Amino acid sequence: MSYVEVAQVRSAVHRLHRRLGSARVSGIFWLGLGILALFGGLALAAPWIAPHDPRAFVGPPLAPPSPGHPLGTNDVGQDILSELIFGARISLGVGLLAGGLAVALATLVGAVAGYRGGTVDAVLMRWVDAMLVLPRLPLMIVVAAYVGTGLPVVILLIALLGWPAPARVIRAQALAIRRRAHIQSARLFGAGLGYIVRRHLVPELSPLIVAIFVGQAGRAVMLEAGLAFLGLGDPTAKSWGLMIRYALDSGGFFFTHRWVWWLLPPGLGLTLLLLGFALLGMGLEPWTHPLTRRHG
Amino acid sequence: MLEIVDLKVHYENPEAPERPIRALDGLSLDLEAGESLGIVGETGSGKTTLALTLMGLVRRAAIQGRIRFQGEPLPVADEARMQRVRWRRIALAFQSVGSAFDPVYTIGQQIQEPIRLHLGMGEAQARVRVAELLEQVGLDRACADRYPHQLSGGEKQRAMVAMALSCDPDLLILDEPTSGLDVLTRSALVEMLSRLRRERGLTMVVISHELADIAHLTDRTLVLYAGRVVELGSTPHLLEDPAHPYLWGLTNAYPLMTRAKDLWGIRGALPDPGDPPAGCRFHPRCTQAIPQCREEVPVLAPPNPRFRGAGRRVACHRGGVVTLLAVEEVCRTFRNGGQPIPAVRGACLTVREGEVVGLVGQTGSGKTTLARIIVGLERPDSGRIWFEDQELTAGGPEGWDRARQRMALVFQDPYEALSPRLTVLELVREPLDIRGLGTRSERDGRAQEALAAVNLPTGLDFLYRRPHELSGGQLQRIAIARALVTAPKLLIADEPVSMLDASEQAKVLRLLKHLQNERGMAMLLISHNLALVRKVCDRIAVMCAGEIVEEGPAHRLLESPGHPYTGSLVARSRHLFSAEHPNPPSSGSATPSTTRTKEGRA
Amino acid sequence: MVRRRSGPGWAFPARAPWAPRLALYLLTLWGMLTLNFLLPRAMPGDPLLALMDPESDAYLADPGIRERILQYYGLDRPLWEQYLVYLGRLARGELGWSIALNTSVAGLLAEHLPWTLLLMVPSILLATLISVWAGAHAGWRRDTRVDRALLVAFLLLDTVPIFLLGILLLMVFGVYLGRFPLSGGQTPFASYASPWAQLADILRHLALPMATLTLGLAGRNFLLARNSMVTVLGMEFMQVARGKGLPEPTLKYRHGLRNAVLPLVTRFAMQMGAALTGMILIETLFAYPGMGRLMFTAVAARDYPVLEGGFLVAGVAVLLANALADLSYAWLDPRTREAPCPT
Repeated sequence: MSYVEVAQVRSAVHRLHRRLGSARVSGIFWLGLGILALFGGLALAAPWIAPHDPRAFVGPPLAPPSPGHPLGTNDVGQDILSELIFGARISLGVGLLAGGLAVALATLVGAVAGYRGGTVDAVLMRWVDAMLVLPRLPLMIVVAAYVGTGLPVVILLIALLGWPAPARVIRAQALAIRRRAHIQSARLFGAGLGYIVRRHLVPELSPLIVAIFVGQAGRAVMLEAGLAFLGLGDPTAKSWGLMIRYALDSGGFFFTHRWVWWLLPPGLGLTLLLLGFALLGMGLEPWTHPLTRRHG
Repeated sequence: MLEIVDLKVHYENPEAPERPIRALDGLSLDLEAGESLGIVGETGSGKTTLALTLMGLVRRAAIQGRIRFQGEPLPVADEARMQRVRWRRIALAFQSVGSAFDPVYTIGQQIQEPIRLHLGMGEAQARVRVAELLEQVGLDRACADRYPHQLSGGEKQRAMVAMALSCDPDLLILDEPTSGLDVLTRSALVEMLSRLRRERGLTMVVISHELADIAHLTDRTLVLYAGRVVELGSTPHLLEDPAHPYLWGLTNAYPLMTRAKDLWGIRGALPDPGDPPAGCRFHPRCTQAIPQCREEVPVLAPPNPRFRGAGRRVACHRGGVVTLLAVEEVCRTFRNGGQPIPAVRGACLTVREGEVVGLVGQTGSGKTTLARIIVGLERPDSGRIWFEDQELTAGGPEGWDRARQRMALVFQDPYEALSPRLTVLELVREPLDIRGLGTRSERDGRAQEALAAVNLPTGLDFLYRRPHELSGGQLQRIAIARALVTAPKLLIADEPVSMLDASEQAKVLRLLKHLQNERGMAMLLISHNLALVRKVCDRIAVMCAGEIVEEGPAHRLLESPGHPYTGSLVARSRHLFSAEHPNPPSSGSATPSTTRTKEGRA
Repeated sequence: MVRRRSGPGWAFPARAPWAPRLALYLLTLWGMLTLNFLLPRAMPGDPLLALMDPESDAYLADPGIRERILQYYGLDRPLWEQYLVYLGRLARGELGWSIALNTSVAGLLAEHLPWTLLLMVPSILLATLISVWAGAHAGWRRDTRVDRALLVAFLLLDTVPIFLLGILLLMVFGVYLGRFPLSGGQTPFASYASPWAQLADILRHLALPMATLTLGLAGRNFLLARNSMVTVLGMEFMQVARGKGLPEPTLKYRHGLRNAVLPLVTRFAMQMGAALTGMILIETLFAYPGMGRLMFTAVAARDYPVLEGGFLVAGVAVLLANALADLSYAWLDPRTREAPCPT
């Protein structure tokens, strides 16, 4: 890490601290971060925490909770708790990867459009407008039906359909930053595009990018769960959404108490994870308005 | 009608709860029916907070003090009771009209709202009233059906006034009624407002930082600084003859067409309202602060007859702007072999704290003699001289000597005034050496600071140069640095730039003015060049044949000279090619006479 | 132009004049049609050829259907000719032939669309009402207990995956309390004594899916509504209105809410996509006989023409919603109605 990057990280941390000075904001922020950290830890440590290999048939099918299987077993005798713990990897992983990819695309398009302006901006934004009215899930269903439902396909689809809305926000911010006096003065001093992007645009956009990443990651988790629920999940990577699908598919489901230990845990896990992303996003919100904050 | 006693409004400070933002801190005023009160102050002085408090619109703030309106306490914290006061009894024409109208309703609909609510009129009746109101403020009736975005800034401002008048309020508050408007729109609006005031006998509070609005619209004026009242008095007298140093600085910084002086604001900036300075809040910026100002809060003193106009009250430990130097009826006659040559004949002159006074007159008019008398190089034959409330003429030379530690003289010719034998450092340090102030290294330090202040190098190479190696401009700067090194209260500069070319003149003069502004000293600038002097002077005194023939604010003196001698000085320096010039560049158009006729016709 | 942003939703530029907007909509429609045309042909592994390949799992055994599919996609002709034929068919309302159900896609869609509309239109309206009302109230009472409580409640509604919300409602009201049927749009094979009895049966089946969709959508829109209200309340004209001595309801609704609604119109139109997502998931869960359920079954059967048709209908619906939002925006905001007078 170069000196400049270190300085940027420091100033970002500094700004974060200043923004989160008031107790209420930091409460929401830390709660969200705590939830995400919990799931992150769960996902990373899955092999050591999980009592069984989630794919192994370790018990009788459809067994109710017991000391050996705290959440019972599924219809083929796999341990549900282990599935749950390993499922965090899939759900969180899809969220982070798809969210990251979407933000990268959004930043690229938004920053270029906002900073370059003119025709480039007009064309890119009309494209974004068109993308915004595409119905997301129906299109995903069609594409997934053709291409199949491997995890990479799902991630790519979510990212490719997720970037337009944040691109618009980043573009507005880039446009505002471009008009600010210190960028204009840097340009007058002869700074090139690369310098301005590296030294001004990216650092000033970074709080917004972080906040958008959090939001997009949450949406990605939600969409993946939705796709899996529709049976368009990757059967080799059992996410929480897919667990719910399988639970529903097992016959006579509604008339036993099975749903309490099979369906509810992944459902609550998803809810809590999404809540974590939402809270973190809300906590970051005040930090993402550098322009409205002081410089007007 | 309105009586406010010791009003304090402290906003909650989300960043630092223990330091509330003190928007208003102990404001008292009273207002009688039919009267118009102006409230003057910089942005952030608490003007708008006062308006919002009277409307009961202040949120997240602690309000203390007593407000009585029409004989009863005003329930500013009681939302329900204030609802009946708002607009019906007290109306406020809000400041930023750009966003003061709801964008989705027409102007007419928005003016109708309070009419129908408070006066209980039906829609048809209210419509008629809106049309009348619009006409009264000089707008077309058709404006009622327009949306806010279809009106210009001036029209919105008028519509705002119409809305404020809609329920015939007992008290009308105008918050910055002309902000953001161009000069023509502004004067039309002010005219409309003063007409309405005459016709309706309105009781008004006019909040503005525009002195012109205050002058046209109000009877009395209250000056706010950082949440405290610093001055109160009748408007014309107050603006003509400001008592408080803050108002004095404000009126001096106010741009007028006739004011030829460059714009120089009051030094420093408004204090942080969360952490205001102790004592008088103006003291860090004041040119005449004394230790008491840093510790004690000044109260609004009872009316002081020292100032022009009745009921002039000022909150200043020094009783307002202090006269630093007063010269009274000073005469000095030289004798040339028994032949009396009167050099100064009954000259009167005053210089106040922080003021720049120009003493103008042709060579031999006695200016330099007067300057030499003031610093004690000559003794006057008769007359009296006061400096910092000490009558110098009453005592012996010790009095002058003490006074000279607080005043300094810059001579006309630096070649003559600076010893050619001394180095730059020695020259600047000399006044300190003479008085034996501080250690040697302290004196060196102060000398270098003074050199830096006059934009001269402070490198060793320069410090050890001698006068003959330097240019005229550099020498004059050294002379100024020499004068500054003792931090005087009064700087007397006798033709400080007359030996320099026009460009160097401009630089040195600006430097002098800058130093005067920053250090808060007073300056007596002596020159024969009226065109030059007017650029920096607040007041000008014109001297002719040993007498001060005219004295007054620079802009008034230049605009309408009262004495023929002043008139001719002004006329001669009006153009590069004067009328008397044998070869004017073109026939006529640039000469003063033509310009005047043109002005006359327009 | 720096757009004011007050929540996690982003809208079309609302104040553009209508002609470029119309052009944009037409362009988007064309893009969607083309995407629909290219998707099956550009896919790796050629899923369509697999239908014709006797060796493949996806081989269509019925020669009649095989013939219709071949004809529909026109795979033996040049691409541009296929494209023209495709557009021509669309213009006549032909959407192809369902592989699994051996019937015309247009007919299938026409049969399922009313059910979906019956579910979606009331849900969207109700969700909008609830979220705007609650959001305005929370914004008005900002930072009070009411505000916090509403925030927490709607935040939870927003973060619970909509199908989980449906399952919970299904379990509580359908299974344990037994008040509502578990699935379907009406009781199968029932004969009704009167049209009213049939209507009651349909409404009973509609209740749970509609409640789920309504709550889910309200959760999404609440924060937008609240933030919009908070933004409006901070504006100068609100202080002026208060200064005029107007009573609280007038301030809250006539000035506050009236302005807060403006940005919501376009934002909510953008949420049409989310409504469709929710609709598909809910119809699947409740086995409700609408478009979502149709698409779900088509996925399982790899019934490409039906999926493509469903996608087209969904896209047109979103476009229409946006156009409607544009029109109502112009109606709501006088600033967009005409150019400002140069006075």
